[in-house]
Amino acid sequence: MNLEILMITAFGGSFLTYLCGKVSSKVRDFFAVFISLILVVFISCFYGKSQTIHYFNFFNLPLILTINKLSWLFAIAVEVITALSVIFSLSYMKNKEKLDFYYFIMLVVNASMLGIVLSGDFLSFYIFWEIMSWSAFLLISYNRGPALKAGMKYIVMSIIGSICMLVGIISIYTSYGTLNISQISSQISSASSDYILLISILFLIAFGIKNAIWPFHTWLPPAHSEAPSPFSAVLSGILIKMGSYGFLLILYIIAGLNLFLELFIAHWVLCWLGAITLVISTFIALLQNDAKKLLAWHSIGQVGYIILGITFGTNLGFAGGVFHIFNHATFKSLLFLTVGAIEYRTRGVRDLNSLGGLIKKMPITFFGALVGACGLIGIPLTNGFVSKWLIYKTLILKGHPFLAFAALIGTWGTILSLYKFIHNIFLGQLPEKYKDVKEVPFSMQFPIVILSLIIILFGILPGIPLKVINSIAVSAGFPSLDVSIWGIASEKGALNMINIFATVLIALVLMRLVFQMGEKRTRISQDNNYAAGSYIPVDKYNYTVEFYQPLFRMIKPYFRDFVDEFYSKIVKAGRTLSDRTRKIYCGDLGYYVTYIVLFLVILIAIKLWGKVW
Amino acid sequence: MVIKIIEFIFSPFLAFIIGVFFLGLFRKIVARIHQRYGPPIIQPLLDVIKLFHQKGFSHGALFDLGLILSLAGSIVVVLFIPFGGICPLKSSGGLLVILYTMLFLPLGIALSGGEGANPNISIGISRKLILCLGYEVPFLLILLSTMSFYRTISIVDIVNSQKNFHWTLFSPLFLSGIAYFMILPAMLGMRPFDIVSAPQEISSGPAVEYGGKYLGLFHIQHSFSIFIMIALFVDLFLGGGENIFYFFLKMLTIFFIMVLIHSVFPRLRLEQALRYLWKWPTIFAFLGVIISKVVR
Repeated sequence: MNLEILMITAFGGSFLTYLCGKVSSKVRDFFAVFISLILVVFISCFYGKSQTIHYFNFFNLPLILTINKLSWLFAIAVEVITALSVIFSLSYMKNKEKLDFYYFIMLVVNASMLGIVLSGDFLSFYIFWEIMSWSAFLLISYNRGPALKAGMKYIVMSIIGSICMLVGIISIYTSYGTLNISQISSQISSASSDYILLISILFLIAFGIKNAIWPFHTWLPPAHSEAPSPFSAVLSGILIKMGSYGFLLILYIIAGLNLFLELFIAHWVLCWLGAITLVISTFIALLQNDAKKLLAWHSIGQVGYIILGITFGTNLGFAGGVFHIFNHATFKSLLFLTVGAIEYRTRGVRDLNSLGGLIKKMPITFFGALVGACGLIGIPLTNGFVSKWLIYKTLILKGHPFLAFAALIGTWGTILSLYKFIHNIFLGQLPEKYKDVKEVPFSMQFPIVILSLIIILFGILPGIPLKVINSIAVSAGFPSLDVSIWGIASEKGALNMINIFATVLIALVLMRLVFQMGEKRTRISQDNNYAAGSYIPVDKYNYTVEFYQPLFRMIKPYFRDFVDEFYSKIVKAGRTLSDRTRKIYCGDLGYYVTYIVLFLVILIAIKLWGKVW
Repeated sequence: MVIKIIEFIFSPFLAFIIGVFFLGLFRKIVARIHQRYGPPIIQPLLDVIKLFHQKGFSHGALFDLGLILSLAGSIVVVLFIPFGGICPLKSSGGLLVILYTMLFLPLGIALSGGEGANPNISIGISRKLILCLGYEVPFLLILLSTMSFYRTISIVDIVNSQKNFHWTLFSPLFLSGIAYFMILPAMLGMRPFDIVSAPQEISSGPAVEYGGKYLGLFHIQHSFSIFIMIALFVDLFLGGGENIFYFFLKMLTIFFIMVLIHSVFPRLRLEQALRYLWKWPTIFAFLGVIISKVVR
């Protein structure tokens, strides 16, 4: 298997999908699924291999594709999530217009993300990065209306990031004369720490914007909530993780962590940025009423955990951070897909205040949402627990109780908002208008079930992914972790998921038996309920709006998106300034002559008194 | 091996007995303060047996499963907590796992109650989760201060470091201990923090749709949670116990004080409770963390 063939399949497949769409929509759907699945197979063939290919020369700059353990891990995540989203799209996007375009761009985004993780030099990295940014813009604004505005916000911030990256790349090229990542990493250790700091800051802004770190996060909530749901899953699951990949690249490969840790202030700032990102966005998520917006804010929050993990520079923290990247990809994609399923059956409703009681109608979707929520919270026996455990342990043992506190209290914000999410959609009374809602078709159930199973499997047997991550950590220069199939077996504070799984299972069975011992139960409907003796008003016997009202009243003034307001003010000020400037050009010749005369007067005045020349 | 298995069976059973005993004692003490005679101490146990013989009404599969999950979660937490030298699950992640397994308790009830489709339940759960957020702020700081003070995440290690009366309560961390004591009524759901069940306002909140064996299981879950919260305090700050008897004695003392507080205070509103929890206990816990950083 060759990397060139892989990239040609990825990009060529997307074009062919577009052409197939001109023939027939069935062929196109089939072909899109085929391409995304074949890429999963191709990438899995690369497991454990490393390969470097020099595929093109661009004005004496060799363009290189390379695969190592880190890029393999990202590539497989990219492919799996995209494949599941494409399968999900089959039913979700049915009866919408411009579908050829949709599948085409979806696969282009996929191919460009593959290109990013496989790039061996910064020029290809930059090219693929730009393809990804622009094609993602096209899909974010796919729905028109408010989506256009969201897309505009996204692309403006993306461009700012790309420019920073470009400056960094050019600076590296002028200093070292090469863009090959492995060559740079061997040469840069001799550079001065100021230069490394400059390069790090430039790249960290670029990756921070894509990764949505506070205060660069403002594009994310509207973009995630306005994009079509399967693409939101890709966007939140892996596209923003390209930023995390960039972080890993900069921190561990380019700058080298030891160099970076010496820049104490930078390290400290990055850690606290992670903590701030985590707390603020999790609690803002709590205040949202739009299901997708709630999840979008959590995407920002979980990025905080990832940053906290990977910036700490211990093997535990690295493993936790990298593992959390993939866990987040699984459970956040799953949650976005379940919201997509809800939208599909309720004709586009995702307002948490108007849904309810759907558990009886859509049990499989509910199962997916529950598992995803548990993963996001980090309940034991889901993969999210293991990665968070690793991060907390790092923070506590390294003696940073306040960072650990931010991480732990963020979990409580997650619990509150995710319970609201589940309760307002699936629990409580079923409104009359959703009496005839059915479960989603198989092609939408399939990705939901697969992702749920992955979350539970990696939660009980975290050793499977952790072994791969551990080998990456070893190749990045860390001491090896004592990973076994069921967790971490280090002598100080081991984690044994099998033990926990077994005891929970036994306890569940035991309690089930105790439950069975009691008198037989009768099933009753939701209308047969306690209402202090009075009859139950249809559609009104529910408590969903302002679910945490007493808390909202207390925290609402403090948890606003101040950064977004600040940016909006800047934009507004810029617009007023431009408006004012425009007024100079009034179209009256007399004024223009006055300007010219005034300008000449000023020049003469300067000449007379200033003696500049 | 045999001893291990006996420990596994014995400790949840003991926790259940102690929890139910506390519930009975609770009613007795409150009755005596009210100058009544009060029910016999085994009354809660008799109630549970009676409830298991009554017919229950279910609202669906999750209604049953959530309650079972909550109970199973509490049993697992009990297995993690050292109890006078007994700790069946010593080496499986320590205090962080306890912290996260404790989530099963409120979440199980919340999921089960949610399917009950009664707004009283929803209000109760919303109050419960907000109250949890309220006491978790100081609680997490307290746990972090002890963990960074002893530089370990294993609760067994923490208990072992307190042998021979080197209790954490008498160490520089005494402020954290005071903070834990101040939030304990909220964790137990006792007055002035019985906002969640508030019978006069929201008809006992989460328990309103439970009847028959559901109510019985709910009581059992409540007794377990009383045991867990107090046992954690004893383990973290009162040096655990050399044997089961001492451990029980310490728990009884704490519980007795809690009941006394319960019987004289009126119920707070949720905002008042949050304001209290985020003020003094949080300040003390915060100072505790700083002390633990300075000392170490």
